[in-house]
Amino acid sequence: MTILQLQKVSKTFNGIYALRNINFTMNEGEIVGLVGPNGAGKTTLFNLISGQLKPSSGKILFEDKDITGLKPHTVCKLGISRTFQSSRPFPEMSTLQNVLAGQVFGKGFSLHTRPEDEQAARELLDVVGIAHKGETLAGDLTLSEQRRLDLARALATRPKLLLLDEVAAGFSPVLVKQAIKLINRVRERGVTLLIVDHFLNLSLKVADRLLAIDHGEKIAEGSPNTVMRNRDVLHAYLGLRHQDEKDY
Amino acid sequence: MSFFASKNTKFRTKGLKFDSVGLVTGLVLLIMLPALVQSNNYILQVFTHALLLASLALAWNILGVSGSISLGHAAFFGAGAYCSAVLSLEYGLSCWLTIPLAGLLATGLGLIMDLICLRLRGAYFALATLAFVEIPRVITDNWDELTHGSLGLVGVPGLPSLSLGTWSVDFSSSITASYYFVFAYSLVLLGLVRFLFNSNLGLAFQAIREEEIAAEAVGIPANRYRLLALLLSAYFTGVSGACYAHLVRYIEPGLVYGLHFSAIPMIFAICGGRFTILGPAMAALIIYPLDQFVFHPLLPAGHEFLYGVVLIVTVLFLPAGFWGSLRKVS
Repeated sequence: MTILQLQKVSKTFNGIYALRNINFTMNEGEIVGLVGPNGAGKTTLFNLISGQLKPSSGKILFEDKDITGLKPHTVCKLGISRTFQSSRPFPEMSTLQNVLAGQVFGKGFSLHTRPEDEQAARELLDVVGIAHKGETLAGDLTLSEQRRLDLARALATRPKLLLLDEVAAGFSPVLVKQAIKLINRVRERGVTLLIVDHFLNLSLKVADRLLAIDHGEKIAEGSPNTVMRNRDVLHAYLGLRHQDEKDY
Repeated sequence: MSFFASKNTKFRTKGLKFDSVGLVTGLVLLIMLPALVQSNNYILQVFTHALLLASLALAWNILGVSGSISLGHAAFFGAGAYCSAVLSLEYGLSCWLTIPLAGLLATGLGLIMDLICLRLRGAYFALATLAFVEIPRVITDNWDELTHGSLGLVGVPGLPSLSLGTWSVDFSSSITASYYFVFAYSLVLLGLVRFLFNSNLGLAFQAIREEEIAAEAVGIPANRYRLLALLLSAYFTGVSGACYAHLVRYIEPGLVYGLHFSAIPMIFAICGGRFTILGPAMAALIIYPLDQFVFHPLLPAGHEFLYGVVLIVTVLFLPAGFWGSLRKVS
């Protein structure tokens, strides 16, 4: 079943296209990797879906409902959550409070935190592996812990679709392995995932499908194997080889 | 101490015990003050004013805690003072009615301020609010038929009296009575602020202040919460202004719309600890009497330099405010 649909979505900044005519569909339960070199428009696409930016033209449908131009907090309540390329924890709150904010505001509002909210938040901290840091101030966490916290907080809003922006950037191979495990655990919870992955160290291993963009345009879509053999994708990542240049 | 303590304070605030000790000590001292000073009028007058300033600082901090620094609260204070004074003096309404109405007028003004300023952030917001004060001030100054313009209003009715069955008290009858009136009001406001900050509204305010984009992303409508903070803050600043009018019984535009009433709550809130519940009130109750009893006699013309000095010292050495820093140490 289709969960997310982008119809001819474009975004311009001062007349310059950051994204041009992106058509793209995601099915429920899928993991899709969004790949592309620096400046391709990956984060812009995320910002459009999650409501931080409004598309210049085109439509975004979530569960057949038009969400184009809705505010981030409304989009969140509908069931789309995201993490950020550089984590944005609430630094002066404890780790637990960070997750509680997602738990309490993600779907509605309750004036006081109920015990079940706290329990759910602690469970999520456990899922991402920082349960022992519950009382630590989020600003004091390490980079990897902050990413985990970002993920836990996003999950706390009970999303159907989760957008992960560069979760594994700068991770050591060991941490990448842990991240893969973590993503599979998230998938088991029934969450559909769109993963931005610049270095491809995650998406090649977990994604069902890849969407490759370059200079704001879709250049390839399909299984990881076919996309990674695609000429345009190789060119975007590695540049043109001497022989290729002659072919062009 | 279960004074309005909410169930979830334990992960919201460290140093809760410390807060309770400070609160109990402060309350006991304040309740006993008239007896301690044997109803010395001057001392009581100073502390009545200090309590009123404490209420202003508490009200200012409702907005402050959501991350906005306002330099325009004199707008709400002055509008509240004038509203209650005019309604009770010219139209003879009871102060029990005019004081809440003053709060409502200030809230309306807060709504206008929201339209003009609240899309701004940081220093831009602060500067816009500073200019905003001119709007109600100029209106008050020029609406002669209603406000007597810059002549001010003299003979504003005193604080109201309260009678329950056979027991009755006239809050304007003595300084001690006025003192307890302002004390009760500040205490109610403190309770409300405490309830607010310990509830999930407080969590939303803090989230918006610390990382607005992330707050929006987890479902917090930042602009709506910021507006709520501003309206609550404006309401109680207006009520404090009304209390001031009935307490001092003389108001004029230059006084109640003066920079004094914009800057003082901010200075107290920052010195006491902007993100604490008790800090702003504590600062008012310590710094203002210090100013009046020690610095005013020494330097009658320039005693207000004290506020500048404590503000600079706090910002440089105790960015969390003295109460905020003390709590951390404990």
